[in-house]
Amino acid sequence: MVMQDTADTPIAEMAQSNASAEAIEPTERKMRAKGVSVYYGDKKAIDNVDIDVYQEFVTAFIGPSGCGKSTFLRALNRMNDTIPSARVTGTIELDGDDIYASGMDVVQLRARVGMVFQKPNPFPKSIYDNIAYGPKIHGLAEGKAELDAIVEKSLRRAGLWEEVKDRLQDSGTALSGGQQQRLCIARAIAVDPEVILMDEPCSALDPIATAKIEELIDDLRGNYAIVIVTHSMQQAARVSQRTAFFHLGNLVEYGHTSDIFTNPTQQRTQDYITGRYG
Amino acid sequence: MSPAIPLLLAIGLGLAGWLVARARAWTFKRAAPDGRIAALPSYHAWYAALWIVVPLILWFLIWNGISGQLVLNYVLASPEAQSLPEFGLRRDSILIEARNIAEGNAGLGMNDEAAALAEPFREAMQRYSLIGLVVGLLIGGAGAAWAFLRLKPDFAARTKVERLVLAGLLIASLVAILTTFGILVTLVYETILFFGKVSPADFLFGIQWNPDPMSTGAVEGDRYGAIPLFWGTLFIGAIIAMIVAIPLGMMSAIYLTQYAPARVRSWVKPALEILAGVPTVVYGYFAALTIAPAIRDIALALGASNPSSESALAAGLVMGVMIIPFVSSMADDSIAAVPQAMRDGSLAMGATTNETIRRVLVPAALPGIVGGVMLAISRAIGETMIVVMAASTAANLSANPLESMTTVTVQIVALLTGEGSFDHPATLAAFALGFVLFMVTLALNFIALRVVKRFREAYE
Repeated sequence: MVMQDTADTPIAEMAQSNASAEAIEPTERKMRAKGVSVYYGDKKAIDNVDIDVYQEFVTAFIGPSGCGKSTFLRALNRMNDTIPSARVTGTIELDGDDIYASGMDVVQLRARVGMVFQKPNPFPKSIYDNIAYGPKIHGLAEGKAELDAIVEKSLRRAGLWEEVKDRLQDSGTALSGGQQQRLCIARAIAVDPEVILMDEPCSALDPIATAKIEELIDDLRGNYAIVIVTHSMQQAARVSQRTAFFHLGNLVEYGHTSDIFTNPTQQRTQDYITGRYG
Repeated sequence: MSPAIPLLLAIGLGLAGWLVARARAWTFKRAAPDGRIAALPSYHAWYAALWIVVPLILWFLIWNGISGQLVLNYVLASPEAQSLPEFGLRRDSILIEARNIAEGNAGLGMNDEAAALAEPFREAMQRYSLIGLVVGLLIGGAGAAWAFLRLKPDFAARTKVERLVLAGLLIASLVAILTTFGILVTLVYETILFFGKVSPADFLFGIQWNPDPMSTGAVEGDRYGAIPLFWGTLFIGAIIAMIVAIPLGMMSAIYLTQYAPARVRSWVKPALEILAGVPTVVYGYFAALTIAPAIRDIALALGASNPSSESALAAGLVMGVMIIPFVSSMADDSIAAVPQAMRDGSLAMGATTNETIRRVLVPAALPGIVGGVMLAISRAIGETMIVVMAASTAANLSANPLESMTTVTVQIVALLTGEGSFDHPATLAAFALGFVLFMVTLALNFIALRVVKRFREAYE
């Protein structure tokens, strides 16, 4: 399913053949955004967006460059806080709690809502220490044996264990691009998050590494709510169950992936997925 | 011949060549069917001017070097010179005086013989400066002819000028390197002289430093043990100063790169850099007049008996403050060079800013920071004024920071400004000390630059 030959298959067919795209109904709403706007200084980057993110679902954000999808993604774990001029209005809830409420512990929030970035960014440490970093700072492991177990489990889940188990002390930056990105995913998993945000995780990777990551996303879906920003509509069609189309800071359309790609209700969505602009 | 004449000649001829060549290039340009020639007229002009000026100036530099000897030879061959004493100071002084009279710089003075010699000097000088000018003109003309023969519409004057500029830049950069090399040669020469009188083992491993510039007779090797100086230098420059500079420099760098709002950073960073521009002698006052007495008073209050008013601690503390900007700016650069992605990656895992700095940013920036610290150490141990003013000249081998101590640089100053004769081992010892210091700082800089370079490659 995931490893389909992408060259000839129309996106609509791809979305339909992605059986999970419509067959399953969500069981649990994990995050909910209501009337969210994001400003950089005076500039409005995101205007009044409502989106629900479901447990065990992959939600894809698509749209042309500069449409605000990455900005919105970063609002979901308050990574925009690191940009002094950024400001968020509206409410974003995680399990019903407003993450922008004054009592919210940002550090805890980011441990629950992990993030994988566009460019693989392993720390210049050993593979082992890259994974152990999160569990150590959050005190998730007591003793070396437990830490070893977490490292192994995380690497196994990210499909990297077999490739690196004999060289855990090598530098994480010495791995190939695709391996580095899976290392970053393993690193995010290691702190046992509930939601994983992925900001164009495959844009710096070759097609083979991309296929591996997509396969991994599909495997991980069972345990997490995943939100992925992507420029590749094929990728959105292959891996996601829900798709949101952003344009110029607005959420144009949000729905079942198969609907968005076969039967969009908005003309702008239709134009974008058929390649008329973007 | 005054040096202004050849210089003016070179400039005048060069200017003439420049104008003529440019006019010629313009005629090419007008004659060209599409109004285009291979290089702009000004490049043709510069090409011709450089071909005139450079050989001319080179010739005058060479001529300046050899014409003195030629003049002297001429004078000595003259009949008036036969009555000169054969050798010695008197002969030299007569010749110098005669030359001065001939140049019109001085009247008749101590040596009457000089008056007779002045005339041959005047003749010789006129003759040789005329030769110099004529040859210079010939050379300038040859350069001009060579350049003008090559001016053609399709002549690539631009690349030729480019190459000449390149050569000029290369020479400029070689000057600094050759100077360093020259310094090293002098140092090595004097050091070898010193080691001819005092054995290197006594010097490098002896623990008594007590050179007496007035002593005569047999050299006592055991007075030249430099260990107390090396220890004082290390203790003040590399230990006390670094205990101050490393933590403060690191913390200010971390604050400036990670926490400070842009507005605070925009005035704190320049302020720190001003600290680096304060003359070290000013730090010296501060150490000697403020810090050292304060330390002595504190030591007294704490019950130390008879503390010294000049302490290693005072010099080290002030030197540490002086070094802060070096450590801080290197650490600042290194931390700022760690990609934002590292920081984001760590924050996105729920690390606090503090954890991110301690566990990700500083380790990633460590090579650069270490490089900065080593450069700072090499600066601290070469520092002179602060220790001269605050640390005394007593060579104590002690680990007590309240004692007065001395450093290599202080002793070099003391030995060279003393009254010993130039070939006395006490004076030569200054060169041996300088040589050791030079080698140590050279090694530190070399290692530091290697470390910093490796760090730069890590993220590019």
